[in-house]
Amino acid sequence: MGDKLNLQRQSFLGAGSEIVLGRSRAALVGLGGGGSHIAQQLAHIGLGNFLVIDSDFIDDTNLNRLVGATMEDVRLGTAKIDIAERVIKAVNPAAETIKRRANWTEVTAELRDVDVIFACVDSIGCRSELEGFARRFLIPLIDIGMDVHESSGEFSISGQVMLSMPGKPCMRCMGLVTDEALAKEAARYGAAGGKPQVVWPNGTLASIAVGLFMKLVTPWETHKVTPLLLEYDGDLQTVAPSNKLAYLPAYCKHFDSLNELGDPFWTPDALAVVE
Amino acid sequence: MRTILKLTATLYDDLVQRLREPHDFAGERVAFLKCRPALSATSLLLLAGGVHHVENEDYVNDPTAGATVGRSGLRKVLQAAYMEAVSIVHVHLHEHRGRPRFSKTDLRENALFVPDFWNVQPSLPHGAVVFSFDSAVGQCWIPGSPSPSGVEVAIVGSPMRCTWKVTNG
Repeated sequence: MGDKLNLQRQSFLGAGSEIVLGRSRAALVGLGGGGSHIAQQLAHIGLGNFLVIDSDFIDDTNLNRLVGATMEDVRLGTAKIDIAERVIKAVNPAAETIKRRANWTEVTAELRDVDVIFACVDSIGCRSELEGFARRFLIPLIDIGMDVHESSGEFSISGQVMLSMPGKPCMRCMGLVTDEALAKEAARYGAAGGKPQVVWPNGTLASIAVGLFMKLVTPWETHKVTPLLLEYDGDLQTVAPSNKLAYLPAYCKHFDSLNELGDPFWTPDALAVVE
Repeated sequence: MRTILKLTATLYDDLVQRLREPHDFAGERVAFLKCRPALSATSLLLLAGGVHHVENEDYVNDPTAGATVGRSGLRKVLQAAYMEAVSIVHVHLHEHRGRPRFSKTDLRENALFVPDFWNVQPSLPHGAVVFSFDSAVGQCWIPGSPSPSGVEVAIVGSPMRCTWKVTNG
């Protein structure tokens, strides 16, 4: 026994899976209820390289769902990225963790380097912008979201996990981002009060998200098509491929132009900076 | 600095299918990926968004090479690079598994024609890549750099296929 993660029990993922996972790099944008679960699971499966991004510090309202957080963190006001790093390193000390206490728009050069982005953000606007970025640099994006709705004095929990794969249908194709929803959200901007969030739906959605990631980097079977959108019914406790999938176009019409790719302000002078 | 060519699995599958189509006299087919560049924290990224296929009549009957593209064919791809403001990556396929290699002819010809794309897009990097069924190698000419650098390839799909992550890649 040493400090090296023993992945013997997941050897069914393939002879080279440990190497592939060790060389893979994922970004987690948002280290709250969903992102903290994903960070923990990715550490356990042996992901070698993390980029964790969140500008926020923990407070006592986060403790009901933020995996790895403690009362002491609340007392100290620990940054969420520091909690994520602590969880990751406790499982796999060899994992490289780059932490950025920032908005993701401030660390786009590092984000361009990752294989997969996990979007664990609250707003439709933010997930739409992040998807636009991911498409521009041909990066698969796995988005999770949950919601608690009130109706007639009772509550209903729902959510979804989406794989936004460059070239395939996007959030707009799937109706997760609409102009109407963006306008509604913008009108609510600044309204007081946080959205309801609890630990168990986040855990379910995070597990599905990590499963999608594993099918991308170390698939254990290749015959079943990975659903791009899975819907969670938190009342029935079920997850199923969305009915919308049957009606989706084969290809995305929103990000299908060369002009949607690469650095719009390209200049070869910038190469000197990277050198 | 690494150079990474990224293309979607959809684009790659279409590309390989077209490259494997037989030609009346050419031993193999070639194509040109149309890419837009970007810089990441560590790498130059060539992001492929389309393919310029060489039309049947633009191959020259040249028994000394697997595929030779005639002047009119080259003119068409130069025009595409100019009109669409893209980096061009010449591609062909070696039909085997494992890490492919450029032949001596490939290396000589790459050095001759790839920098020609600077005549129409001088600020963009251009390159050449040879694929096998499960791997790839490439060369990239970067503006201001006298010699080509190596290219790694990532096929973005389910599953992801990255040449630098596999032991035989």
